[in-house]
Amino acid sequence: MHSIDPFHVQLLAAVLFSLGIAVVLTRRNIFLVLMGVELMLNAVNLSFVGFSQQLPGAQSLWGQLTPLFTIAIAAAEACVGLAMVICITRGKDTVDSDAFAEMKE
Amino acid sequence: MFHSLDQLLGSAYFALFALATLLCAGGVLLSKHPINAAVYLIGVMLSLSGIYVLLGSPFLGVIQVLVYAGAIMMLVVFVIMVLNQARDHRVPRFDGFSIVGAILPLAIAVMAVRTLAFTEASTIDPAKVRGEIGPIAYTMFDLTPAGPGYYLLFELIGVLLLIAVVAAVMLAKRHLDSPPVHEAAGEDGHAQH
Repeated sequence: MHSIDPFHVQLLAAVLFSLGIAVVLTRRNIFLVLMGVELMLNAVNLSFVGFSQQLPGAQSLWGQLTPLFTIAIAAAEACVGLAMVICITRGKDTVDSDAFAEMKE
Repeated sequence: MFHSLDQLLGSAYFALFALATLLCAGGVLLSKHPINAAVYLIGVMLSLSGIYVLLGSPFLGVIQVLVYAGAIMMLVVFVIMVLNQARDHRVPRFDGFSIVGAILPLAIAVMAVRTLAFTEASTIDPAKVRGEIGPIAYTMFDLTPAGPGYYLLFELIGVLLLIAVVAAVMLAKRHLDSPPVHEAAGEDGHAQH
């Protein structure tokens, strides 16, 4: 059970975070942008848990508590973000992120 | 012998879950329709909860399945279905700017892998506390002055979630003084045809 290399956990978290950034920056659908943010939050949680396993004794619990708060923040973020998506797609009738560039002018 | 078999199975399960995580994350990046991406994202979250259990924090794995794969992704899929009128998939997946946008993730991946490759090898502490619900609860609600004070953060998260719910209702409501019900019903009936 303890044979998992912490290096591999951090490697997986780094690659997952990069994939999340790639989804946010390259996809054009605004739902996909929100999902990329969720992917990045998951990668950070995995990194927290991986590092917390190397702390001695009860200190390892502190790193396992922080992802609980991150999950709650992610819930709030998804709630407000999806409400904003509903709000802005009502007028435009599209989910292409290029259609919401009015703030440029 | 059984000890070594146990160790072998641990890393084999980790490799399995890591492969599933990466495949599903690639599916999120490449999927055509947002519903497909949402299902792939649920796959990422379920695989990650398996990894959490393997790493010795089962409570976090349970919360990951309940809150993330259950509640948050349910909300995402629900909103996709509310807004989806067979036009989501007409949004092109990538455009010319996507090539520029792909540079940063590649750079971050290379930097992270290089940094990790030069750190010295470390092992998981075998004497660590397993993150069952009991130790987690005793640490989070440790009310002694010398404790870490996580209960204050817990209260703040409650206030934050309340604010988020109120903000979502304010944003998604059509007008603050909504028209009467029969008008809205007629509008919906018209939209269905």
